Amino acid sequence: MRPPPRLARWILDAVLPHTARGDTVRGDLIEEFGARSQASSARARRWYWRQTLAIAARLATGRTVGSELTDHTAHWGSAGLMDRVLVDLRSATKALIKARGFTIASVVTLALGLGAATAVFSVVEAVLVRPLPFTEPGRVMWLSETFSDTGSTMGIAWPDFLDWRLRLHAYSDLAGIRPTTFNLTGGEIAERVEGREVTWTFLHTLDVHPQLGRDFAESDDRVGAAPVALLSDGFWRTHLAANPAAIGQRLTIDGVTRTVIGVLPRGFRYNPLTNDAVYLPLGAAATEDSGLPDRGNHNNVSAVGRLRPGMTAAAARRELADVETGLRREHPDTNANVAGQVIPVTERLANGVGSVIATLFGAVAVLLLLAAVNVASLAVARSVSRRQELALRAALGCGRRRLVGYLVTENLLVALAGGLAGLAVGDGLVRALVAAAPPNIPRLDEVGLDAGVWLFALGASVAIAFLIAVLPGLQASTARGQQALVRASRDDLGASSGQRARRGLMVVEVALAVVLLTGAGLMARTLRALSTVDPGFNPTHLLTLRFSLDGDRSTPARIEAFDRRVIAFYDQLLPAIEALPGVVSAGAAPSLPIDGANWNSVFVVTGQPVPPRALLPSASFVPATPDLFSTLGIRQRAGRGFSASDRHDTASVAIVNEQFVRQFLPGLSPIGQRFKQGWPETPGPWREIVGVVNDVKLNGVEQDTPPEVYLPMAQEPASASALVIRTAGDPAAMLPAVREVLARLDPMLPLFDVNTMDDLVNIDLARQRLTMLILMGFATLALVLASVGLYGVVSHGVSARTREIGVRLALGASGRQVVSLFVGQGLVTSALGLATGVAAGFAMARFVEAQGLLFHVTARDPIAFSTAVATLLLVSIAACYLPARRASRVDPTVALRGD
Amino acid sequence: MATPRPLGEFEQLVILAILRLQADAHGVGIGRALEEDAGRSVSRGALYTTLDRLESKGLVRWRLATGGEERARLPRRVYTVTAKGLAAVRSSHRALARMSRGLASILKDSGA
Repeated sequence: MRPPPRLARWILDAVLPHTARGDTVRGDLIEEFGARSQASSARARRWYWRQTLAIAARLATGRTVGSELTDHTAHWGSAGLMDRVLVDLRSATKALIKARGFTIASVVTLALGLGAATAVFSVVEAVLVRPLPFTEPGRVMWLSETFSDTGSTMGIAWPDFLDWRLRLHAYSDLAGIRPTTFNLTGGEIAERVEGREVTWTFLHTLDVHPQLGRDFAESDDRVGAAPVALLSDGFWRTHLAANPAAIGQRLTIDGVTRTVIGVLPRGFRYNPLTNDAVYLPLGAAATEDSGLPDRGNHNNVSAVGRLRPGMTAAAARRELADVETGLRREHPDTNANVAGQVIPVTERLANGVGSVIATLFGAVAVLLLLAAVNVASLAVARSVSRRQELALRAALGCGRRRLVGYLVTENLLVALAGGLAGLAVGDGLVRALVAAAPPNIPRLDEVGLDAGVWLFALGASVAIAFLIAVLPGLQASTARGQQALVRASRDDLGASSGQRARRGLMVVEVALAVVLLTGAGLMARTLRALSTVDPGFNPTHLLTLRFSLDGDRSTPARIEAFDRRVIAFYDQLLPAIEALPGVVSAGAAPSLPIDGANWNSVFVVTGQPVPPRALLPSASFVPATPDLFSTLGIRQRAGRGFSASDRHDTASVAIVNEQFVRQFLPGLSPIGQRFKQGWPETPGPWREIVGVVNDVKLNGVEQDTPPEVYLPMAQEPASASALVIRTAGDPAAMLPAVREVLARLDPMLPLFDVNTMDDLVNIDLARQRLTMLILMGFATLALVLASVGLYGVVSHGVSARTREIGVRLALGASGRQVVSLFVGQGLVTSALGLATGVAAGFAMARFVEAQGLLFHVTARDPIAFSTAVATLLLVSIAACYLPARRASRVDPTVALRGD
Repeated sequence: MATPRPLGEFEQLVILAILRLQADAHGVGIGRALEEDAGRSVSRGALYTTLDRLESKGLVRWRLATGGEERARLPRRVYTVTAKGLAAVRSSHRALARMSRGLASILKDSGA
């Protein structure tokens, strides 16, 4: 049986005394909950909650609930502090229950604001604040090289890294890292696993020690060393049954047999985004033919370094800049355009989502402020209407401090109730957020409401309580004795200062609503712009999956043999796939649109001067099978496509995209131009351009299309590639048949990254979509709050000025004139708010733009701003008109008769 | 013995429930009896307040009994009706019976 709801039990524990009497009530509730759970657990939980709240409410209003509640007969003057607080609490509870409308409106407003704040705070905490699983992550820096002109990140050239290791002194340890995926074979099934190649100092840098076996030693990290591997705890558990005898066992990784030397501690993950299973020594991979020893080659290597004690990130940055300057001088042909960067690893690992979360945090701050303003406005209104009650209390000798204390108690109760309800709302929102979030937000699976968040909500509620108590509290406290009683009886006069305060608050509220509405508008426009971008291909009905063939590439002869095997594999695979019923066509290429390029290279064009190495033109290179273009729906612009007659022994050819022509062959006829991939001195075939195809969004929808070169797969066989299949019907439904074909050709071939192209596009847009959805939700909420607030102010103004309206009507004013008077006054307030909001909205929009969240929309987008203003204006008119119409129906004779 | 103050209708139902339940007359049992036999859905807070009131009027009394696993070993409060309580419910019942005399045909359940 499930126990009763924890929070409810906790509340009961807090309100019921811990005596035998109290225990019998608790016991009864538990017993009955158990009995009710058997019928329906959800209904039982609701029942338990209802009973808890009813009991708490009864105790708060001074009734007994089967337990000896102490009888508070304390008097105003003689009561001790605790008694005073209790009396205040009880009296406040009663007052709040009486003013039900006010209480419900305030609590709901606070619950929504605090709930949203709590949810976003939870996500921020889990993703950005919660420490990484290694010692002092704040001292660990992430290093890479960059293009010195654009500042964009690139991998570290391996020789540069070796020089860093000698020349950088800011770090007690420095390690190189290269993320990779491996084919794991030799077990019962072949499998693709994520992993990392790291230098032997990696674990040392992070201060992590294997739970079993040993760490890499320097001797493992050299070319020619005996092949070894470290395993993650997860992999060791799932694949080796957590067997301690795994140490010394052999695994075949990418065709190489390696000895397992250690298992990493449980819970260790360098990058929370990935699920690294295997770690291999990076230095051992730096063989001549790996490309690593070439200083011009920036492979996917990055570095982590632990700062020496006393060393700052800024000093480390300066040191790296100096070292890079030295390298530029020493190796001008490769390093002329290369610089370095140092980023805290925590920041690096939260990369890309920081902007979304910062925006959300801003939106939540605005919403919370809006909720607080709304509640404050409600509190002011209420304090105005109960001026007489407060004046009476003051007249009867209740001191000024006591009165403020009482009002603070009341507001505190409202805020606490709002905080509690907000926690429930927050819990729901977190669940919704996690469900709707893009899959690449780190550590999202760890998000949940926790103690820190609870404290945050509590702190926010208390802060809001004091905030909203200050205004009405001070206002009430200025009311003194008789004078107050006299003033209070003429409530039209008494109301005016409160009315002014509320108008001020309304200006703020409308302004905040404009900000949120504009933000939502900007995101909606961005999403629209992104979804109407022509990707250059047709993403519907496409199934994609990846595989990687293993082979021996140790000698030139073996490489040639392997290449022939790869070509033969495609020659068998594609016709077999295309023969499947339901398949329209199939192609293969290592880089897919949206998914991103994975081979960028420099090249040399015939007839054009050869620039220094660092300034050589570069493009994305994509080996492609003949049917790739038709399968993706890429259109031929000039020349021809690839055909089966482009073989490894026929003329070397290439197809380029329009961007390539624009950038490198402006004003020339591209067909027939020749170029060579690689460095000027690298041997390689000169290729003739035989065709031009349209641009596709290669690196995501947002990124501009890079210059792109397609090579015939038969002339540049890619052993690791994606298969793209155009289907007649649902692409996902074709997967089993496709798997069967691949298994027939190579039963040991692992398949991975199975997706439909539509999914890839959607995942790419998920960041914007999530931001927009949340902002939309917040903006709707803001709109509701602002309109309720405006309605309240105008409506309150109408009732406070009933007598004045009576006079006006009696003197011959028409109903229409009275309506326009009130609507006009409401609109002046809202116009002030709109103007403030537009100004604040520009600041917000520039912030969002700086976060890189806008696409083809400027920060001053007229449509987003005018829509926000128009919406609020319409809502304001409605919110003012409804109560104003009531004013015109005032009967002058009734109004003038007075109190 | 002085004539007791008349009982409220809900108080009557609670006392009748205690009399019927005997050893099982603790909060859960009384609540269930009210719900199942009297068709009264009642919040537990209100039930305990009523029991406290009946106790302070001296109409019911209770003793603690140990509780089992089903209630996390928390004690039970088993109620009994005092002589005064019995007199009060009898008097209420008599009044009701007197007033109902001759109305049998009207009060009879139409059956369902």
